[in-house]
Amino acid sequence: MKPIKFRMETDDTYTMVFSKKTDSHAGQFYMLSVDGVGESPISVASGFCNPLTFSIKAVGSVTRYIMEHRDAEIGLRGPYGNVWPWKGSDHIVAIAGGIGIPPIKALIEDMESEGNLHDLTVLYGARSPRDIVYRNEIEAWKKKLDFRVTVDSGDSSWNGHVGVVTTLIPGVDEFRKGRAFVIGPPIMMKFSVQELLKNGFSPENIYLSLERRMECGIGVCGHCNLGQWYVCESGPIFRYSDVMNEPELFL
Amino acid sequence: MIYELTRDDMEKLYQRISQEYETFGAKEELGEVIFSRISSFSEVSEEKSSYSPKDFLIKRSENILEVPRADKKAVFGVKSCDLRGFQIMDLQILNKDPFYTVRRENTIFVNFVCNEMCNGGFCTSFGGPVLDRYDIQVLHRDGKYFVQADDRYERFLTGFKISQDQNVFSRHSQEFLQRYGKIDLNGIEKRMKWNSKLWSEFASYCISCGACNYSCPTCYCIDVYDDETGRKKEWDSCILEGFTRTAAGNVRPELSDRLRQRFYHKFKYYKLSKGEYLCTGCNRCVDDCPVDIDIKEVITHDYDKE
Ligand SMILES: Cc1cc2nc3c(=O)[nH]c(=O)nc-3n(C[C@H](O)[C@H](O)[C@H](O)COP(=O)(O)OP(=O)(O)OC[C@H]3O[C@@H](n4cnc5c(N)ncnc54)[C@H](O)[C@@H]3O)c2cc1C
Ligand code: SF4
Ligand code: SF4
Ligand code: FES
Repeated sequence: MKPIKFRMETDDTYTMVFSKKTDSHAGQFYMLSVDGVGESPISVASGFCNPLTFSIKAVGSVTRYIMEHRDAEIGLRGPYGNVWPWKGSDHIVAIAGGIGIPPIKALIEDMESEGNLHDLTVLYGARSPRDIVYRNEIEAWKKKLDFRVTVDSGDSSWNGHVGVVTTLIPGVDEFRKGRAFVIGPPIMMKFSVQELLKNGFSPENIYLSLERRMECGIGVCGHCNLGQWYVCESGPIFRYSDVMNEPELFL
Repeated sequence: MIYELTRDDMEKLYQRISQEYETFGAKEELGEVIFSRISSFSEVSEEKSSYSPKDFLIKRSENILEVPRADKKAVFGVKSCDLRGFQIMDLQILNKDPFYTVRRENTIFVNFVCNEMCNGGFCTSFGGPVLDRYDIQVLHRDGKYFVQADDRYERFLTGFKISQDQNVFSRHSQEFLQRYGKIDLNGIEKRMKWNSKLWSEFASYCISCGACNYSCPTCYCIDVYDDETGRKKEWDSCILEGFTRTAAGNVRPELSDRLRQRFYHKFKYYKLSKGEYLCTGCNRCVDDCPVDIDIKEVITHDYDKE
């Protein structure tokens, strides 16, 4: 398949939109491939029934190849994995670091289509203003929901919040009875969980989307385990209280 | 039902099977016992094969853009420990890996129950060498062949003499256990310690060759990658540094981390997720390790004493 739209979000991150409708729910992923190059797990960035969208940071062979060959034929397998358990919760605080934002975009779209955006708060942390993905969408989201952005370090153009994303967590302590969804680099997830616990969220209400090396997406290749679970099969989203004793959780 | 066959009957059984299945067997060739095509039962060796028959279901390397083929194969002379390897792997990959699944469904394994414990083997710890599930199970004892088959293959045995001794397999199992004893697993999944010195000790002499994984009849991990000729899947090894490497980092950068993963997968993770240990006691990984790392030490080690 070929994307019908291709847009650079930052110097190294791009968004692709396909004509196919999204048949997954927020939190799930696809295996994207280019013949002769390889396959990579990529989160779906669009809500159910919207045009299928992915946002990808170019870091290695597949992700870079696609960026450099925009008319490349892309193979899609999926959807795989579980979904953000937002239904039936009071309020959701979704915390995304870096390239963890695409499945939160999907979450916004899924919750919006069911009229639940007032139950969502998003905290998004990027390294610098230049690294912010979805600039256009963010302006629109800010009008529709409680969307807060921070950057680790600002520049002259930036007049928003500066500081790592965990510094925004004390500001959402009123939602401590709700659920928190966390996705981003391991260190960011580790400190976010600590901060959430400090602010009264319970381990049963914290959910993490984990990233592991994945080669099959279907529980066959054996690469993506966290303890007894394969992240592709039982995840990528785990309830913190179920996995908190796994020594490899935040690696 | 247990049947009692003579050597001639075994040849007849072979003939019946070979009408429907392409036949392979453990065969002595140039001082090794390897699986290759056979044309009569007499060619089958009762010795343990030099390599596990894993390759029948998980090819060392293959192109996965091709459609899995349902070739009917019968493999004679597989040892019980090796067959059990497939049964344990089934719990994770059957009906998920299309190549494994189609081959599993179209392959008959005729397993031979051992009369003596192989050098270093510890199958008794996992209930071997008599299996309670099999395609066709053979015990060559007291000059006779005692044979039992799964319902799917019982038809191959009709007409042969039904054994007077319907307990011969369970008696053999008890005698075997009495003779060789077993290593007590003793809740190994709870005893192993994350920070045990054992992992770093092993790491101090392991040379990361991956032979332990390749020889193992239960190691199913594969590497999926592309090259000029297509998308490949190939035996992989959790001992290798790249196994968990991602663009973002590596969960197991140290060799000791990876050795621990191997033993935790075998003795803890699989037990928790599937209810079975991911090991059959075949000792192949010990036989093939160039630096003599012995998985039995993981079981017998006194973690509390550290
Ligand atoms: C469930 C899940 C969802 C993801 N969603 C996104 C997303 O929406 N956007 C995005 O930019 N990135 C996402 N990633 C990370 C992305 O999969 C990797 O950046 C990508 O696989 C790197 O592939 P590569 O071929 O470019 O890199 P190389 O380093 O050349 O990787 C070679 C192979 O290793 C594996 N691999 C390498 N790094 C990773 C990794 N971090 N995670 C999993 N497998 C890896 C893949 O099989 C890959 O093909 C996600 C990862 C997971 C596990
Ligand atoms: S003894 Fe070694 S090779 Fe044999 S099943 Fe156990 S781990 Fe695998
Ligand atoms: S066979 Fe031995 S040396 Fe080779 S990787 Fe396994 S434990 Fe290490
Ligand atoms: S990606 Fe292969 S088992 Fe999870």
